Order: sequence, then C-alpha cells, then structure tokens
Amino acid sequence: MRNKNIQFSFLVIMMLASMVACKKEEYVIPDPVSQLTNDCIKRTIGPSIVSLPLEFAYAMAIPKSSGKLVSAQVEASIAGASGTYLEHRSFFTNASGVDVPVLVGSPSVTVDKTTKMTYSVDTSAATLRYYYVIPEEARGQSVSFTFSVTSSDGKTASYKMGPYTISRMSIRRNLAVSNGVNAFISIEDMAVYNAAAAAPISGKIDLVYLFRAAPTTFTHALVSPGADAAYLPGVVLPSGVNRSTKLRKVFNLQDRNLANLQFGIYVDDVDLKNVDMVDMPNYAIGLRAEAGVWVETADKKYRAYIYINSINPAGTAVISMLRYTL
Amino acid sequence: MAKYYKIALSILMISAIIISCKKDSPVDEDGLLITFRQECFVSNFELLGADFVSVRSKTAVIDTVAQTIDVEVLFGTDLKNVYPQFSLATDCKLDPKITGKTDLSNLASPKVYTVVSGNRKIRKAYKLNIKFQ
Repeated sequence: MRNKNIQFSFLVIMMLASMVACKKEEYVIPDPVSQLTNDCIKRTIGPSIVSLPLEFAYAMAIPKSSGKLVSAQVEASIAGASGTYLEHRSFFTNASGVDVPVLVGSPSVTVDKTTKMTYSVDTSAATLRYYYVIPEEARGQSVSFTFSVTSSDGKTASYKMGPYTISRMSIRRNLAVSNGVNAFISIEDMAVYNAAAAAPISGKIDLVYLFRAAPTTFTHALVSPGADAAYLPGVVLPSGVNRSTKLRKVFNLQDRNLANLQFGIYVDDVDLKNVDMVDMPNYAIGLRAEAGVWVETADKKYRAYIYINSINPAGTAVISMLRYTL
Repeated sequence: MAKYYKIALSILMISAIIISCKKDSPVDEDGLLITFRQECFVSNFELLGADFVSVRSKTAVIDTVAQTIDVEVLFGTDLKNVYPQFSLATDCKLDPKITGKTDLSNLASPKVYTVVSGNRKIRKAYKLNIKFQ
C-alpha cells in the first residue's frame, strides 16, 4: 500500500513538472522609450589596421514630449588620426536598401580625443556614423570609445564601446610595378623603386618584380635578388642589391582590405605571425591576379603578405601588401 | 520471484559481455579494416605546390608493371615544399603515409612509396621519378 502511494505521488509530480515545462511564456510588450536613450554598433569587421577607419553607428532618441537632441560626442581613449569625424547627417535605409542621409547638424569638430557634433535641426531621434581613423600611436594597443548624447532637458546618455585591439600590421595598397622599371620592392619601406632609386638603399630591397613571356609558366614573378640567376633572366641588379627573401605562394587568399573591399577574407596578425616559412624558396613565379605570396625578409625583421590586385601581359602589375614586424 | 530476477539479470550481463568482446572485423595497426581484396596498385597521382595548385606540366605516367610513377613538373617548382596525392585501388593504403608537405627535391634518389593491398598481404613499391619541364 505504501509503495502504491509513493508511485502515485511520483506520477503526480512528474505530470506537474511536464505541465510547468510546457507552459508558454507570454510575450511582454517592451516599455516605450521614456527617457533619453542610446545604442551603438561597430560596423567595421576584420582587423583594425593603422590608417584605416573604424566605423560605428550611434543611435539616440528621446520622447518628443521630453525635448530634443542637442549634441552628440565621442571620446576615444587614443586621439584619432586626421580624418576622424562624427557624421552630421543621420541615415535611414530606404525600401531599396540604400542608406539615405538627412542633414541634422553642423560638421563635427575634433579636439584631441573628443569629436563633437551639434544638432541644428529639431529632432528627437538620429543615427550618426562615427569614423575613427586609427593613428600610429594606437598600433598594438587597445582603444575604446565613449559615445554620449545630450538633450534639451539637460539629460545625458552614454554608451561604451571596446576595447578593440589594434593590429600591428601596416597596409599599403595599389602599388604599380613594371618589368624593368619600377621593379624593386622594399618591404621595410612598403614601396616600389626603379633601379636608380634602389641603388642607394640596396640593403632595403627585398624583391624584384619581373615578367617573362617564356617559359609560359614564368610570366609575372616576384623574385628575391639573392635567388638563382635562372629566376632572374636578363635582370641587372643595382650594386649591393642581393638580399635573399623567402616567399611562399598562396592562392584564394583575397584579403578584403588589400583587394579594395572585395571578398570576405581577412589576413590578421596571427596569420603573419604563424605562417610556416621554413625551407621556403626565394622566388615565386607564375603569379596570377588575386594570388598572393607570404614574404619573410632576409633579416627576419618583417613578414608580409603581398596580394596581386591585377596583372597586365605588357609586363605590369598592381600589388598591395600587409606588413608585420616580427 | 527475486531469484528469477537475479537469474535473468545474470544472463543479460553475460550476454552483454560476450557481445562486447566479440571482434567484428580485423583491423590493422592504423585501425583500418583488413579486407579480402588483393588489388594493389596506384590509379592516379597528383602533385600540388605550396599554394595547393598542381605543379604537373602533364599527366603523370603510372606503370603498374614496372611500378614507377613518372611526373614532369613546371619550371621553377619548389620540390622541397610539395604535397603528393596518390589514388589507390580499393582498401589499399600507402607506406610511408603522407602527412603534410613533402621534400622531393633529391632527384638523384627518387622516393619510394609502397602500396599495401586491402588484405595487407601484398606490398608493391612504386618509385616516384620527377623531372623538370
């Protein structure tokens, strides 16, 4: 009898548990905005590289009965480089998915770490874009932001973003190289030189760009000055240009920043730090558009990723590079 | 009643032990199934560069009688950093295993790869001959 009672109780508990578990939680309508409110998202994805902007969208609103927006400002933990600004236009997305600007204030003013925009129209809601150009001082450090808005009723709301780690990489885009002319590439300078300009800085020249139609597999090439003469046919190196740089060919690694915002792949610090360059050759021939090469300089001071933006059968190419100091 | 439960439980336990100890099929030292297949040959060969793009200039010639693979590679191929890929007859395996980039730069001493049949009783050594375009 006692066992039966226990079994019955257990059954009842189980049923109750099932009912509770299946109970549907009612949707609760959120409270409408009753005071000055703000929100923020970071729109930029991928590594944060010095000289490139970080983009944020800062939204703010106040009930019409409480007043209007007066000003918005952003304070960065490290002052942004030239070009940092807070939009004085608010954007909305139309039915076609296009962001349409509406003028809401005067152009922002940046003083040291703070960028401020004052509203010139009577508005109670806006979304402003903030573009923070990453300065050299932020390289390898963390940067954070405090967004804030002030309303006509004297209230202030703020929103913190970050911290974001700034990459140690440097970027240089769209360098034109040409066979026999602007053919000498320096990773340290992230620049391309002709023979006359390369001679005085021979210790900085890491690669030679050349184009040979034959053999058909040679075509566009990046060759270290210290490579076997077979890979530098007909090339006259300026005096002292003799570094042996390691190269590793890559295909299908179209970094978005290097490829002028095409594709969705990013090369980050960790990639350049960890790429295996042991026993790699000192030449890369048969390069094609959208291919790339990992590079390690002879003194092991730098690693780089060189992306081939475009090639031309006339013996020219456009390259972009990311450089990481080891 | 309890006695019957005990007997039934004991039978179940013994059955479980017998079933769990029964060897389904033989496996080799790599945990691969040893089958009855005697076929032992290379059916296809590919050679990829460090960028995982083929470095062959033409299709590899596989001689299953002479047990050789002759492959011609493009000018400038860095044979220190290549990835050979073998297609083998069903259930075969390769010795030594290819676990990553391979150094095939010593052309004077061609590398030998042995194909082991599915029943693991037949071994055929293939010599990999590489020459430049």
